Amino acid sequence: MSPMPDNWGYVLAAYGVAAVLLVGYWRYLAARAHELSQPVRGGRKGQA
Amino acid sequence: MTTRMLGWLALLGLGGGLVAGFGYAPREVAQGNVQRIMYLHVPAILTAYLAFALVLIGSVGYLATRQLRWDRLAAAAAELGVLFTGVTIISGSIWGRPTWGVWWTWDARLTSTAVLLLVYVGYLLLRGMVDEPDARARYAAVVGILGAANIPIVHFSVKWWRALHQPSTILGPEPSPIATPIALALLVNWVAFTLLFAYFLARRMAIARLEEHA
Repeated sequence: MSPMPDNWGYVLAAYGVAAVLLVGYWRYLAARAHELSQPVRGGRKGQA
Repeated sequence: MTTRMLGWLALLGLGGGLVAGFGYAPREVAQGNVQRIMYLHVPAILTAYLAFALVLIGSVGYLATRQLRWDRLAAAAAELGVLFTGVTIISGSIWGRPTWGVWWTWDARLTSTAVLLLVYVGYLLLRGMVDEPDARARYAAVVGILGAANIPIVHFSVKWWRALHQPSTILGPEPSPIATPIALALLVNWVAFTLLFAYFLARRMAIARLEEHA
């Protein structure tokens, strides 16, 4: 028997926060790649 | 190997890591189940070390060759190093609360890891402040090389100073005292994190190439 309680709440919190950070970064990469793959509309500023 | 395939392998690895950490590895005798945070915390910092080592390689490579592909490697790796150091610090803080009784303490390992994070956040901020690509790459390379000096300080801090954080049980000079099932679960998670890192790095570098031509 462990001298400590199981503290499952802390385990879930640690894995949950890590999942949010890693999935958030993955979504950021996907959004940035999508944004850059779109054709530029209207040309550059100052162009005729 | 395509980037997409690497992504699927990373996902498979992470699934295997969860099975290994929660299904295969036994409940730790002293800490109970809260010790399972180790399967996240340790692979995260090892991945961050890998990322910052690549920042060093990319920085030296750029200064030696002046080719921007080295700078792209350093920049992408720095971003990922910050991400994985963030995961390390947050998971360590959550693990510290039930085991040490505090969320944070100015222990040598914790403090040096926080400094490591701030150095590379500074590296990314510096990159954002310089518009000219060659000047940006040059300044960043200098910070990338100097910042790497912090990695051995973080790793050996638990030996060099009296610390609340436990000494290194892997990558240490002595044979690891970890029980085999726990070490195996750690290894599976380490491989999974490395695959995830490789996937993120490939995608981030591809985006950096697109950004240069945008």
